[in-house]
Amino acid sequence: MTDFIGANLPYLLGGISVGGQYALIAIGYTMVYGILRLINFAHGDIFTVAGFLMVYMSATMPLAVSLPLTIALTVLLGFLVERAAYKPLREAPRMSIMISAIGVSYLLQNLMWYITGGLAKQYPRLPWVSDSVTIFTATTKVVTLVTPVLTLALVIALVQLINHSRIGMAMRAVSKDFETAKLMGIKIDRVISITFIIGSFLAAVGSALYFTNYTAVTPTVGAMPGLKAFVAAVFGGIGSIPGAVIGAFIIGVSENIIKALGLTTFSDAFTFALLILILIFKPTGLFGEAATDKV
Amino acid sequence: MKTAKIVLSLLLIIIAIALVGYTLSSQGDLRDLVMRLDPQNLSSADSRMLKARDRVLDGLAEGDRVRDLRNLDRYLEDYGPQLALDGENGLELFVYRNGPSLLAAGIALAVIGAALLVSQLDKLAKLRRPAIYLALAAVLYAGVYIVENIAGSSSMLMTVLKKGAIYALIAVSMNLLNGFTGLFSLGQAGFMLVGAYTYAIFTIATDSRAQVYQYYDGGLVQFALPTLVAIVLAGLVAAFFAFLIGLPVLRLKSDYLAIATLGFAEIIRAIFQYDGLGPITNGSNLLRKFTTFDTVLFPFAVAGVCIALIVMLIHSTYGRSFKAIRDDEVAAEAMGINLFRHKQMSFVISSFFAGVGGALLAMYQTTVQASAFKASMTYEILLIVVIGGMGSITGSVLASFLFVASSEWWLRFLDNELVIGGVQVPLLRSGFRMVVFSVVIMLMVLFYRRGIMGDKEFNLKRFLQPRVRKGGDVRG
Repeated sequence: MTDFIGANLPYLLGGISVGGQYALIAIGYTMVYGILRLINFAHGDIFTVAGFLMVYMSATMPLAVSLPLTIALTVLLGFLVERAAYKPLREAPRMSIMISAIGVSYLLQNLMWYITGGLAKQYPRLPWVSDSVTIFTATTKVVTLVTPVLTLALVIALVQLINHSRIGMAMRAVSKDFETAKLMGIKIDRVISITFIIGSFLAAVGSALYFTNYTAVTPTVGAMPGLKAFVAAVFGGIGSIPGAVIGAFIIGVSENIIKALGLTTFSDAFTFALLILILIFKPTGLFGEAATDKV
Repeated sequence: MKTAKIVLSLLLIIIAIALVGYTLSSQGDLRDLVMRLDPQNLSSADSRMLKARDRVLDGLAEGDRVRDLRNLDRYLEDYGPQLALDGENGLELFVYRNGPSLLAAGIALAVIGAALLVSQLDKLAKLRRPAIYLALAAVLYAGVYIVENIAGSSSMLMTVLKKGAIYALIAVSMNLLNGFTGLFSLGQAGFMLVGAYTYAIFTIATDSRAQVYQYYDGGLVQFALPTLVAIVLAGLVAAFFAFLIGLPVLRLKSDYLAIATLGFAEIIRAIFQYDGLGPITNGSNLLRKFTTFDTVLFPFAVAGVCIALIVMLIHSTYGRSFKAIRDDEVAAEAMGINLFRHKQMSFVISSFFAGVGGALLAMYQTTVQASAFKASMTYEILLIVVIGGMGSITGSVLASFLFVASSEWWLRFLDNELVIGGVQVPLLRSGFRMVVFSVVIMLMVLFYRRGIMGDKEFNLKRFLQPRVRKGGDVRG
């Protein structure tokens, strides 16, 4: 029994941890989709930019400055991307905004490649969370244990914000009916900006946790976690924050179970297979609202 | 009068073709000529002369035209009087020396002739349109052939033309789906991968298989197919994959479809890299030593035929149904169009041509590895389609060549550090090219959303005879 636990606990812990990191990214997707009906393809790249910002800033600044500054700059980037690339296309067909998002992703990746010279950078060691810890027989980093706790705390805070504040109410209204919300005097642009700010903030936190585990930062490293987080958002029912979180944990854990079975090549493929299954059998996801087709 | 003009123009074109043909053939014959000039009547002990001749031949073999001419000059200057240089040989030498200018003259004549012909277009319009298109295609191919012979097969221009033609085919195949049927699919890289692998697996020469599949005991497939058969097979296998994937996926709506196809492309990539399939796919190792092409005419011919087939499809009843689905699904269904069947057809056909494009890309790269066919490849092709204009074939073709030319060639200088007057120009270093490039693309996506051509096609007649504005000019 202890052997079994000793052999499998690291995978389980890894799964929960990576699930929490996906969850933080997935919230960004699900909130943006809920309001703009846009798959923000650039979200994964914003997550990577946060990683690089931390690499560069921690080289010259103490952690107490570099970490908040990284988060602040990532939030600023998310805000600017929305203003520059999505806002001008508000009235355009949805396909155009999606293409614009793909363009932003392409631009951010090339920009990161240019600045870093295409080489992988080592993510700095964060005090305490990078330390090793032993649970039963499994050795892991403290971040593995911190991630789910921090994720849940942030999600609860976010849900409180959405359910019990004026701006939260505005967000719910906009996501329910864009046009009517506009007519009722809600400042749409402000709501959308705040959505992007929250999404980028969570992506920055997720990035700090993720790269403490997987320390090599490259320009395209965010693409895969980004897509998986999106799958998590769809799995949980797009537009639903608890759904995204649960979806992310399920995906993180099952991915690690597959790795434990020795099928690492298929861990990415599994995620997408899951996506396709859920889209066929329950297109609205676990907690999604039933969409009605208007003719 | 008109007939005279047409006869004249045809005459000019014939003279041009003859001139170009003769120039090109004599370039190839120079080796023979030099051998023929070999002083058999002189004592072959004249070793200096033989050495000089060999220098000319070496220069020829390397294809270094400038050095070659210099050697030839020296050879003829020293030994010309002793050689039997009669009129015919003299003419060949003259043509070789003046090759580029003669070719230029030939092209100029051809252009004048073609212009004259086109100016009589209303007469020609009575001919069937396919004849005109065939003639235009022939002129294009002849032009590419001539340019290739002047510039050399490995020059930058040829690289761009080869890759551009391949990208054009892939972009058009994606446009068929996204621009003409309105299915926002992001799986193109996956189908290209299937095509590239199928082609590579079936054309590796039998005796190099042991070397390529060194980790898998020479692999399972132990025969090689002819190139064209393998290309068609590449398309068919990609189409088969598309058929299977389409069954569940095509029932999804816009952005879910995008994500599901993107996901399938990733799954395909994972499967092809799977170690268990190593005897067939070589796992995550390179596939190499398969048949490739060296002339630019090959991708031009294959891509040209495929694009022509797609154009014909779009002009058929099916094509009109695709457009109806794109414009309004509900109305199309009400008119009796079977939505699923038509979507499936578009998806399968588009994937067939993506597979063929993947095979060509494999030939162009000379090696294939699954890890290269990432989602970013699909994004690049999507951006090409958008730049060219969703729903415009000519737009996609034009944008492919522009995209490849600027990313591989015109913007290269941005990647090199540059010092002007002792001051280093800021920003210029490796990678800057792609940044500038993606900024330009972003600007196009934001402010020039319809792309180069919108959903219009390039029209030769309208291009040559600009429409006269109604109501006449207002003069102040």
